[in-house]
Amino acid sequence: MSSGRLRAVMGAIAPSAVLLAIAILGLLFDTYWQYVFAISITAAVIGSALAMLVGYARCITIATGAMLAVGAYGATIPIVHGSMPFLAAVAAATILGACAGWVLAVPGVRFRSHNLAMITLVFQAVVIIVLRESKTLTGGAEGMHVPPPVILGISFEKDADFLLLSAALYALAVVPMTVLLAGAFGKNLRALASNENAARAFGIDVRNHLIAAFTFSSALIAFAGAVSAPRFRIIDPDSYGIFTSIFTLAYPIIGGMGSIWGGLAGGGILRLIPELLRPLADYIELIFCVLVVATLTFFPDGLASAFWRGTTRRHRVKPGASFTARAIELAPMAELFAATQALGAAAPGRRGGDPILAVERASKSYGALRAVDDVSLTVQPCSLHGLMGPNGAGKTTLFNIVSGFVAADSGNVRMSGTLLDRIPLEARIGLGMTRTFQHAAVFERLSCLDNVIIGLGRNGIAQGIVRSVGQAFANADSRSERRAAQAALAAVGLGVRKDELAGALPLGDQRRLEIARAIVSRPRIILLDEPVSGVSVEEARRLRELLLAINGQLGIAMVVIEHNIGFLSSLCQRISVMSQGRILAEDDAASIIADPRVRHVYFGEQEAAA
Amino acid sequence: MIVVGGLKFGAIYSLAALGIVVIYKATRIVNFAHGAFVLAGAYATYGIVEGLNIGYWPAYVLVPIAAGLLAAAVEFGILRPIRQADMFALITSTIFIGIGLSEVYRLVQNTEMLGVRNPLPGPPIFIGDVIITKEQIWVLVGAIISALIGVAIFGYAPIGRGLRAMAANARGAALCGYSNDGMNAMAWFLGGALAGLAGIFAAPSKGISPELAISMITAGFVAAVIGGIDSLRGALFGGLILGVAETFAAAYVSSAMKNAVSFLLLFVVLLWRSEGLFPEAKIRDV
Amino acid sequence: MLEVSGLRVASGAVIRVDGLDLSLPERGCIALLGPNGAGKTASVEAISGLLRKAAGRVIFDGSDVTHLEASRIVRRGMALVPQLRELFPNFSVHETLLAGSHAARGRSAIPFDTVYDLFPRLAERRHQLAGSLSGGEQQMLAIGRALVSNPKAMLLDEPSAGLAVGIFRAFVNALRRIRDSGVAMLLVEQNLEIAAALADSCIVLAAGRVVWRGSTRDATSSEEIRQAYFA
Repeated sequence: MSSGRLRAVMGAIAPSAVLLAIAILGLLFDTYWQYVFAISITAAVIGSALAMLVGYARCITIATGAMLAVGAYGATIPIVHGSMPFLAAVAAATILGACAGWVLAVPGVRFRSHNLAMITLVFQAVVIIVLRESKTLTGGAEGMHVPPPVILGISFEKDADFLLLSAALYALAVVPMTVLLAGAFGKNLRALASNENAARAFGIDVRNHLIAAFTFSSALIAFAGAVSAPRFRIIDPDSYGIFTSIFTLAYPIIGGMGSIWGGLAGGGILRLIPELLRPLADYIELIFCVLVVATLTFFPDGLASAFWRGTTRRHRVKPGASFTARAIELAPMAELFAATQALGAAAPGRRGGDPILAVERASKSYGALRAVDDVSLTVQPCSLHGLMGPNGAGKTTLFNIVSGFVAADSGNVRMSGTLLDRIPLEARIGLGMTRTFQHAAVFERLSCLDNVIIGLGRNGIAQGIVRSVGQAFANADSRSERRAAQAALAAVGLGVRKDELAGALPLGDQRRLEIARAIVSRPRIILLDEPVSGVSVEEARRLRELLLAINGQLGIAMVVIEHNIGFLSSLCQRISVMSQGRILAEDDAASIIADPRVRHVYFGEQEAAA
Repeated sequence: MIVVGGLKFGAIYSLAALGIVVIYKATRIVNFAHGAFVLAGAYATYGIVEGLNIGYWPAYVLVPIAAGLLAAAVEFGILRPIRQADMFALITSTIFIGIGLSEVYRLVQNTEMLGVRNPLPGPPIFIGDVIITKEQIWVLVGAIISALIGVAIFGYAPIGRGLRAMAANARGAALCGYSNDGMNAMAWFLGGALAGLAGIFAAPSKGISPELAISMITAGFVAAVIGGIDSLRGALFGGLILGVAETFAAAYVSSAMKNAVSFLLLFVVLLWRSEGLFPEAKIRDV
Repeated sequence: MLEVSGLRVASGAVIRVDGLDLSLPERGCIALLGPNGAGKTASVEAISGLLRKAAGRVIFDGSDVTHLEASRIVRRGMALVPQLRELFPNFSVHETLLAGSHAARGRSAIPFDTVYDLFPRLAERRHQLAGSLSGGEQQMLAIGRALVSNPKAMLLDEPSAGLAVGIFRAFVNALRRIRDSGVAMLLVEQNLEIAAALADSCIVLAAGRVVWRGSTRDATSSEEIRQAYFA
């Protein structure tokens, strides 16, 4: 096995190994501590599940207690009333948990923040009420006796046996979660939590990803509920109430929001504290609240992230130290070409044929304001087209219509003849359209490399899962992706920064990162929204060279919004000028600068003729 | 009769919901600690009425001020430093602040539940064959009037104008001389005062315990969301609707269903009309 | 009235304004010109306190206001009409003026009729909501809101942006009347014509630095300035 593959596989099973190691360690202690360790690793597993939902996707969920109950009762009821074998019952409970997560998420993810929290609260309350009222099945408020686990005739009644059994089961169950969190699926979740618009523009369907996150998370939580139930001997609805849901939230928050280790550590350690600090039992809950609020205030990424470097290195970047002698390297463009061929990219665009982009009489109004008024625009393949106009002229709205963020009130947008109005925003990257944003919309908490890998656009749910599994084995496909992303970063001059967090980069580098992300999928057209706004004159010059190289060597058409007239005229063959929502003029660069109507809009040199 | 009982609780829920909406409109933060503020108000009522034994009238003045100051202190001390953080951090902080305050109460006051005397004891009134206690009328009328005063302050008083300006456009409000920090603290003070009033009215019939905090935050929330989290009118009507629905459920189905009903209502409204039943007209700002 | 020395504004690693010196006398009017991205908006937002992170010194009416926040600066008599207007969509015209007059508390009040006189169209729409006004009317309201704060100095950021050509004339006249009534003005403009109609002297910024100072008439005929816009 190559070293890269070995490292990947080791990474996938490391959390499981730690859980097993803790269990084996527990054998050295007495039965009380074995009980405590069993509770602690259960909490660690809950923490790891919440790392996905709360840490990565930044969803507030107050339904954890209910999910644990679904697992606990979902296993115990078949065992007690149906004589189902233990392992089968745990499996059934896990599936039930997944279904519950799905049922909660489908209506829930239409909302974010407080409304989502409310929906989870509804779920939590309803589950507890149902459990309390179904006396025949669940024993009602008095609870239900849980027999010790029996597998193949062996009873795991002793604490030591139970500790080892639960650790073994948890070790298995945590592997898929580790793989998903470390892999493409986890990266996509963090991307959508970081910048939802950019995530959607590169093919990440936010709704589906959140539903999947809820489903996987709930399945693992239910699993933990099912496996831990026997040790409690008796389960009752109130031990899975709202306080449980709220306190488990603390696990990823304090432990660390950015990795599975944060969830594991947060759960494992926080659950141990009440046992270790017996004399302070009364004050424990208050201490927790103070800890959580303090962590949110001072360590927004969790305590663990503050101490551990995790998997990405963080460097302090000196602003200004970036560009002194970095010329645009054209060679890596060929490297990018080759690397993306391996992923199945199309041949570079050729001139001629249907316009790559045709906007026909598009209009969009917001109330009384006509943001875009009967605008038509045609972009030829492989060409560079500029779009300029004073603030408020409607340029970004037009981009939003073309890229799918906003639906036009009337008019059409076609790409190579294909009508785009039925095609959702997330699917447009598949057609070969990418974009950059006015305020550099990079995924701040991901590394530059990860940002660009997302730019490849292979971000469907199933695709994300398959790729995550592949990445755990460092398979050929995942290596090709990394190679393509590295080539794109090198092409924009960011090769050395591939492992740095995008949020730590200075603005000019972030703009380059956006360009790298936009080109790695070898699109046929890129929409660039103010790519040189806020950068120095030198940097603007370099970005111009970069864009010309991209256009020349990869045959990618571009539409560029800019205020910097000099930049636009030296880059674009044709320029359209917008004012007050309408196209004022469209011509080649030299004619536009001399056009009296354009000069009036900018300088007010003479009153308009009529 | 059931209707009156329902309206009485509904009026208390309206007050709680109003406080949540005021804070939300002005600062965009959904205050999950609001139930704890209600508990603080109820506890302060106990302290003044039973502890100091000086009757209810001083309580109606002092408790809103005390609760308002508590809320402003929370804003100033804890939330202000993290005002730049994203919604997740802010909302989660309020959740834990609320639980923390309830815990402080539980540690300070060891007994399980406290009670305050009835503000208007005496024989009930008969209207036809409907029996209404004086306390019910007092709470219903008092809570509604307090709520209307709150709405009036927000809508017409100069300080309310400043809050609404900040809610609409914080930069624009600063350019009118409204200090951002001052307005935030004022919004929380007003929201806290409304919570305190809800506490005074709730204390006699619901008792004073940490459960009060949970039940009031839940009811207040559900009422606010049903009415439209951005709408003061919605908070008023949402609370009343919730109170009546709950009481009917308790009477005709079972007392366990009482809670389920509020959640069901919330679920249905969120799915059917997520901006609430009485949303304020939105003018898109250009 | 307003003395700015060595103003530097940076956002992250990008320096938006690099050493601006400016002296606006009482009752004076200066235009701040330059292409997009030159740092004009950053300058006036830093001077008026909307942008807090600025180095340098700003002395207004004798006191150092460099590190004060906008709400306190406007209460001392420096009003900003920002580029995006920043109005309150749900407030009527009248209520917007009420909000603006909050900044004049403690000093003498400006009657609203002054505003209605200057902008008759607003007078006709006293109770209309700000969000439903046209672009030009919103601009008038933003200026009116600044006026009722009884300013000694007014900073206007591209007041002509997005205005329909037909109301330019009336607009310029209204601004002239405000200037003549004794309010010092710092006018940020891209449109040279409007700048020339109101201000005698101007400062031209490009890429954060001052590239030209002098009379507005000379600026409008200078080829150098044209180049600065197209560079």
